[in-house]
Amino acid sequence: MIYQQKLRFSTKGRGTYNISEQIQECIDKSGIKSGICNLFIQHTSASLILCENADKTVREDLDAYMAKLVKDGDSMYKHQDEGPDDMAAHIRTILTQSALSIPIYKGRCDLGMWQGIFLWEHRTNFHKRNVSITIMGE
Amino acid sequence: MVFQDTIKLAPQGKGASDITGPIRDIIRDSKIKTGSCQLFVHNSQSRLLIHDTVDEATKEQTVDFLAQLAPGRDDSVNLINDSMEAIPASMYTAVTQTTIAFPVSRGKPLLGIWQGIFLWERTTEPKERILTITIIGE
Repeated sequence: MIYQQKLRFSTKGRGTYNISEQIQECIDKSGIKSGICNLFIQHTSASLILCENADKTVREDLDAYMAKLVKDGDSMYKHQDEGPDDMAAHIRTILTQSALSIPIYKGRCDLGMWQGIFLWEHRTNFHKRNVSITIMGE
Repeated sequence: MVFQDTIKLAPQGKGASDITGPIRDIIRDSKIKTGSCQLFVHNSQSRLLIHDTVDEATKEQTVDFLAQLAPGRDDSVNLINDSMEAIPASMYTAVTQTTIAFPVSRGKPLLGIWQGIFLWERTTEPKERILTITIIGE
């Protein structure tokens, strides 16, 4: 059995947003008890990550690390049409994930106790982000 | 229903080439309308990227960034000697993908409007590449 749905998230600029609950709601709606949940973000300047969910400073540190690794407005960038965070956001996306695949066990997204599913917004401005979910199982 | 095909990609020089077209054709021919598509490339030197398709410069900049992150023999002759080329090549594999998955909807890849699928080659010796495409759905 296959269930497919599109979710839309509003972001408030650069940072991580926990979307685990919304994903679980989709799994509940699908009625699938055992299978695989594939997530895919339809953008090239935002990504999906699995990350520690208890202490938000972990994700703040992750963002600080990424900002150091991929500098906004680096003079090597040719593509700066939409500001200094534009090209950096594309690179940050490549270094992380556009897709995640998570097992479903007994109707639950089978994450580790301290794992959460996060949408990582790489642009500094507000954006609307589409994430499509494909659940396969029975 | 499961559809699987293995295709050969003609040797290409260093850089990223758009393979969205042939993938779209295979999905259409599979007759699967809703599901998930997984791509897997059978070597570790070429990488699969989901990247922005609007501005050619963004792709070049991403590739330049990755080259700076792990310089190869031809990127920075001062840093790496010939025998060490395998080391930066393996670093790339940690931050980029051998396999990517994306949803299929209405018999088409459900990509964002500005997303494309690219095969990125690091090598200076072009080789034919094998890609397996697995589509699961109905």
